[in-house]
Amino acid sequence: MAEAEEEDAAPPPPPPAGIYAEERGLFQLLQNMLEELLIHKPDDPIEFMINHLKQNNDDAPRICVLGPPASGKTTVAMWLCKHFNAIRVSQETLLFKEVLMQTEEAKAYKERNQKIPNALWANLIQERLSNVDCIKQGWILEGFPENQEQAWMLQSSGIFPRHVVMLYAPDTVLIERSGGKRLDPLTQEVFHTTFDWPSDPLVQQRLVKPEDLSEQEVSKKLLEYHRNFPDIFHIYQKVLKSINADQPSVDVLSKVLAFVQTRHRSAAPFTPRILFLGPPGSGKSLQAALIAQKYDVINLCCGQLLKEAVADNTKLGELIKPYIDSGCPVPDKLVLKLLTARLSALDCLSNGWVLSGFPRDVEQGKQLQKAQINPNRVFFFHLPHESIMERLSQRRTDPVTGERYHITFRPAPTPEIQARLRQNPRDEEENIEKRLNIYNSNVKALEDFYQDAFYVNADQDPYVIFEFIESCIIKPLPYKKH
Amino acid sequence: MAAGEEQSREYLRRHRLPELLQRLGALLLFHRPERPREFLIQVLERVRAGRRAEGEFPFLMDEANVDAMFSLLDVLGQGFIRPAQYREALKTLGLSTEDLELADDVKITRRVFKKGMRKKMLESWSVY
Repeated sequence: MAEAEEEDAAPPPPPPAGIYAEERGLFQLLQNMLEELLIHKPDDPIEFMINHLKQNNDDAPRICVLGPPASGKTTVAMWLCKHFNAIRVSQETLLFKEVLMQTEEAKAYKERNQKIPNALWANLIQERLSNVDCIKQGWILEGFPENQEQAWMLQSSGIFPRHVVMLYAPDTVLIERSGGKRLDPLTQEVFHTTFDWPSDPLVQQRLVKPEDLSEQEVSKKLLEYHRNFPDIFHIYQKVLKSINADQPSVDVLSKVLAFVQTRHRSAAPFTPRILFLGPPGSGKSLQAALIAQKYDVINLCCGQLLKEAVADNTKLGELIKPYIDSGCPVPDKLVLKLLTARLSALDCLSNGWVLSGFPRDVEQGKQLQKAQINPNRVFFFHLPHESIMERLSQRRTDPVTGERYHITFRPAPTPEIQARLRQNPRDEEENIEKRLNIYNSNVKALEDFYQDAFYVNADQDPYVIFEFIESCIIKPLPYKKH
Repeated sequence: MAAGEEQSREYLRRHRLPELLQRLGALLLFHRPERPREFLIQVLERVRAGRRAEGEFPFLMDEANVDAMFSLLDVLGQGFIRPAQYREALKTLGLSTEDLELADDVKITRRVFKKGMRKKMLESWSVY
């Protein structure tokens, strides 16, 4: 009892430098700081860096919501603002809500029904975005930039969004929609007579038809949008995603949210530490072998490691042997010792590893964590029961050559070989059921334990699965909600 | 190279930012603090203080480390090391060996070593 307490009290050894750097996102931290330094080029970089670090706004959203008239920009922008608690900046807010240096000038243009020049818009936007609240909470820029010139002006004043949402829909849909557009003068929220009618009767009464909305006006705006769109698309290509606005607003919003939470691929060094978990027969070892081959990571299978330890007659191997011989499960402590030793070897630390078939329950997972082995990608393979049975119960091995065959998917080439095929007792139906039951009783808790895991549909072609797994490994993990 | 890029590179060069960032990275990886952001703020504040001669620069090696380093170099325990070893030590730490005028047979004692190290480390930080 006292020993266990002592073990908990001693501080864990510091993580190796590579893992520490990865977990804390050090590369991104320093890269963001360098970006800001280059954009602003302050005379006193030390002072600037101290202030930048104190602001702690690396994760504050910097989003542009663009799209043709009636595509739903305001709805999306307002929703994003509420979600992230960021500041929404649009034509109306710049002209009517804020009092900036050049607001009067801009309003004068509007009175005279003249188009407000790009430079003026750029200045207004720049001034608004350099306010403390935008810097701290992040900003959602709605409807800007409208054209290439504005985009360049924003860029030269150091304003560049991290995500650009580009809504699109067929022109006919847009013209139809703009006919039903209604505005709540109090909250500035946008509603629609058919698609998005407010439930509150008070709000319903307030709604007015926005001005400058004749079909002619809208067509004119559409034309202009289409003219400017290709240049803007080109400028923001790397951070842009086009989202179809011709679907229910809930769908649009969920797609937008998923997009703005992604991190763009970074140049940060990345050592994969991958776990493949799933029922027997789901294809874990195949995928592990494919990944190991393509990316040069070390492929580890728990069962294999145990057998190798016994075969090599190592000290641990001798301790493990009696369990393997008698068919009893090897105790967790021994398995963990073996795993930690292997995973802390130099090749695993520098190339990364993929481990299949461990942990089998949450207890083992916790032990892994305590041993400071933290995977950075976890995959759960999902396969329906019938497919598992089909894959496993039809496995056969040729005792002479050791080749593995499958009655349906990979039959033996000659009847001679077929005659001598044998089945591994593990693959007999009742044993498969036993193994599956054990797996199923533990899987829910494991899925809760590994919250950021990816779920793989294992009932597909192996190369389709491989591409999916590959994309999950290469793309950085999305932002977590604070 | 576009004008903007040229300007930016010149800016980086002038303020020696790549070296500074590398040092910050080294300090982070060496100390591995629980809260990297706060740690960086502290380090930069110390640089600022050191610049104003209000405090010490955040040297990666303190006096005990320099002592240990001398003992490592002075394998036979003679109490001194050769100038070649001294130069190598400075190079290993990334300090400049430019203005080092030493004949090849001068004996570098522990005291001289430590003083020299300290002076070089101070110089390397004072550009900020």
